[in-house]
Amino acid sequence: MTSTQDAGLHRPTLIIGLALFALAMITFHDAWNMKIRASYGMGADAASYFVAGFLGLLAIGHLIAAFRPQPEADAADWAGVIWVSLGLAGLTLSVWLGGGFILGSTLLFVLTARAFGRKAILTDLLIGLALGLGIFLLFNKLLTLALPAGPLERLF
Amino acid sequence: MDSILYLLGGFATALEPMNLTFAAIGVMLGTAVGVLPGIGPALTVALLLPITFKLDPGGSLIMFAGIYYGGMYGGSTTAILLNTPGESASVVTALEGNQMAKRGRGGPALATAAIGSFVAALIATAGLAFFAPILVKLAVKFGPWDYFGLMLIAFITVSATFGSSPLRGLTSLGIGLWLGLVGIDQLTGQTRLAFGVPNLMDGIEVTTLAVGLFALGEALFVVSRHAFSDDAPMAIKGSIWMSREDWSRSWRPWLRGTAVGFPIGALPAGGAEIPTFLSYTMERKLAKRPEEFGHGAIEGVAGPEAANNASAAGTLVPLLTLGLPTSATAAVMLAGFQQYNLQPGPLLFVQHPALVWGLVASLFIANVMLLVLNLPMVGLWVKLLKIPLPWLYGGILVFASMGTIAANPSVVELLMLVGFGFLGFVMRRYDYPVAPAVVGLILGPMADSQLRRALQMSLGDPMILLQHPGSATMIGIAVLALIAPFLFKGLSRFRQDED
Amino acid sequence: MNKFVSGLGAAWLAALVAAAPASAQDLELAITAPAGAGGGWDSAARSLQEVMMATGNAKSVQVINVPGAGGTVGLAQFVQGADGKSDQLLVGGITMVGAIITNDAPYDLTNVTPIARLTGDPLVVAVPASSPYQTMADLVAGIQKDVEHTIWAGGSAGGADHILAALVTQAAGVDPAKVNYVAYSGGGESLAAMLGGQVTAGVSGYGEWQGQIRSGDLRALAISYPEPIEGIAAQPLKAQGYDIELVNWRGVFAGPNVSDDAKAKLEEAVAKTVASPEWKELINARGWSDYYAPSAEFTDFIASETDRVGSILKSIGLAD
Repeated sequence: MTSTQDAGLHRPTLIIGLALFALAMITFHDAWNMKIRASYGMGADAASYFVAGFLGLLAIGHLIAAFRPQPEADAADWAGVIWVSLGLAGLTLSVWLGGGFILGSTLLFVLTARAFGRKAILTDLLIGLALGLGIFLLFNKLLTLALPAGPLERLF
Repeated sequence: MDSILYLLGGFATALEPMNLTFAAIGVMLGTAVGVLPGIGPALTVALLLPITFKLDPGGSLIMFAGIYYGGMYGGSTTAILLNTPGESASVVTALEGNQMAKRGRGGPALATAAIGSFVAALIATAGLAFFAPILVKLAVKFGPWDYFGLMLIAFITVSATFGSSPLRGLTSLGIGLWLGLVGIDQLTGQTRLAFGVPNLMDGIEVTTLAVGLFALGEALFVVSRHAFSDDAPMAIKGSIWMSREDWSRSWRPWLRGTAVGFPIGALPAGGAEIPTFLSYTMERKLAKRPEEFGHGAIEGVAGPEAANNASAAGTLVPLLTLGLPTSATAAVMLAGFQQYNLQPGPLLFVQHPALVWGLVASLFIANVMLLVLNLPMVGLWVKLLKIPLPWLYGGILVFASMGTIAANPSVVELLMLVGFGFLGFVMRRYDYPVAPAVVGLILGPMADSQLRRALQMSLGDPMILLQHPGSATMIGIAVLALIAPFLFKGLSRFRQDED
Repeated sequence: MNKFVSGLGAAWLAALVAAAPASAQDLELAITAPAGAGGGWDSAARSLQEVMMATGNAKSVQVINVPGAGGTVGLAQFVQGADGKSDQLLVGGITMVGAIITNDAPYDLTNVTPIARLTGDPLVVAVPASSPYQTMADLVAGIQKDVEHTIWAGGSAGGADHILAALVTQAAGVDPAKVNYVAYSGGGESLAAMLGGQVTAGVSGYGEWQGQIRSGDLRALAISYPEPIEGIAAQPLKAQGYDIELVNWRGVFAGPNVSDDAKAKLEEAVAKTVASPEWKELINARGWSDYYAPSAEFTDFIASETDRVGSILKSIGLAD
């Protein structure tokens, strides 16, 4: 947050403002369609209307702020972000499709390490595998907490 | 006088070498499991409870006390070192604690958390022993209107975590409040914003949001900046122990944190989070150098950690005297007590004094054990930060996602975690503080249901909030706290104009 | 909240089972508790686990917590996951019947196979010690006089506590939609509201409040059980002239499309477990009452409960 934009439209602020406005509309719509009414006092919709109104005000605040000088976000290394995202997607898909926790967490570990610039993939693969296996054994065997199981987990 | 004798008897049992060993094992296990992000004290106690069943009642009670305090303490370590609070009560600790760690002062931060927890638990356990029956009479008088007043104060104090821009802070809070709406409303059974997804019916888990925003968001942000900074920001500077100055800056926050945490923890719907928020704000207001807050002020770790642990002891007040579990942890503890044929309730202190005082003695011993075992560990924990960044963040992400799916093994929960991670990244990138979102998620639903209970009892008349002296006072304080800064600002501007 | 398998307990009990008689069945069961740790269904599942293994009616039993939405999240997961499986059980009860209706859940109890009804606990209607109401008749007169200011405390909206408050209001000759019922989480917070005198009356499971009833902090006016219960001074609503009975029952279910053979085997294992002295001892320790009914009777019972709960929820505006 070092430099400040001088003039003109600040796009991220505008987009966040529009997103807040959309949230406010969804919330309002949801509250409008509530069927159960409270017999006494306020119903469950009151808080929804309050939050919708609050978000609406914040949206207006953002729209105004978008035309004022805003701190510019620092440069980002998007490649790194994408590597980590791939890692998170790898874990999610592995759990979803029944690949299990060890496989997923190994992927996450390796891809995160890659994001930080490591190239020794084989070493990281082994470390990740050992970490995932260690966690799995600790949880499933010692604490018998059910981590998602896949082909690797069934070996134990 | 009888109680003192029972207490001494309890100590005599607890100090037997075998029982001391059980206390040590309990503390170590509790800390080890409690340290894992996403696994809060409730899950820790539930996971480890069955171990204690194997022992005789005395030994198991002692190990149980160790697990409880160990689990409560464990969450602060990752909050400080890795900016990854393991449970909602450690969110505030992460604010200053992680800043300290980034400036090479992780050692003193961990030490002040450990010693603060010890001091707080010591005082609060004594409070539990001697004032529980009186305290509980006051606590049940706390009506929904009073809770609402307390929530209002807590809401105002959140602004202390806002950072430089009120618009950004309020936006973060608004997102938290919005997430707090999701799920089935407790009072009417109406579903809000669940869009028919069954996993959303019970609302958004606070730990999922906290771990997502803090741990995943931080990792994504750090990686995005990694290529541009050649820093190795987490090296250790200076002593890993507390300096004389650290001590003199810590002891008052410890005591104040205890004073806030114990009574609020003893309230049937008080919880552990609100005292940490209040303590943080209080320390910020009272600090000699408030400008250090946000950059690693030790008071901001010492106070909230003491408040957190004092409230843990406070939770035992309604549990033992009413049989009323006021937190998920307490509910698991209740199941534990029943295993020893200990039925908490109004007659417990009369019918089973030996067991009650044995438990109190066990809590004291466990607390001492916690300090003895954890202070030497500080040096070891701090070395975690020497792990190269690629492996450190790889490990953080693996542990963070593990904690979430272990506690709630569903893909939906994992997707939410990842989604909150990206939200945290965007918020960090555009300079939005993340803590207010967590605070909003915790406080929003509580304030909502307490206000509506109050209005339901008054048949919709809002004056009920001002008719009760307790709530009227708290609402007054909240309003003052809200307008005072503007008044002072206006006043000083006015004076400047005159010059 | 917490979904985890009670492992260490299982491991420990497995050691006990190793010493069990050789006639032990070779069942390896997984019981789904559709609630988090510490709740009623969770302790029912864990109790069943303990006794089934201790009596050798199963070789191993795992408890899986799937909390959410009054048990309907666990039910949905169970219907999908236990289809045709002979080693899966689900714990459920009257609260689930209500939650299915109020949440418009995709699956109901006709999608699963009832195995046995296990326990049934009385609910209690109580007032704070400082209340002017001494008897149930006083409370009913109070409702007739001013239903709005008769504030009830109890568990979550649409649950058994709420239903009983509505039934009492109805029996007083007042529109049950008018009941001023303040819902609290669990049995805990409503107790604090009672002791603090913030409400007129309250409903809870008898066991949860028995400590305060014995110590005199609360006055029990009636229980919802059809007959008097030994050791409970408060008389049934029925005996006091109000035609109301409501039992907080819990039972076990198997998955959909279970073969007759597998069903019979599960029924036998549960029936034997429930008949054991260990089970009797355990439900006594927990303060539960035996309410066993075999599969066929239980199936009819669920149908009638679904009708009854549905109509009262409609009358208080929680279902349409």
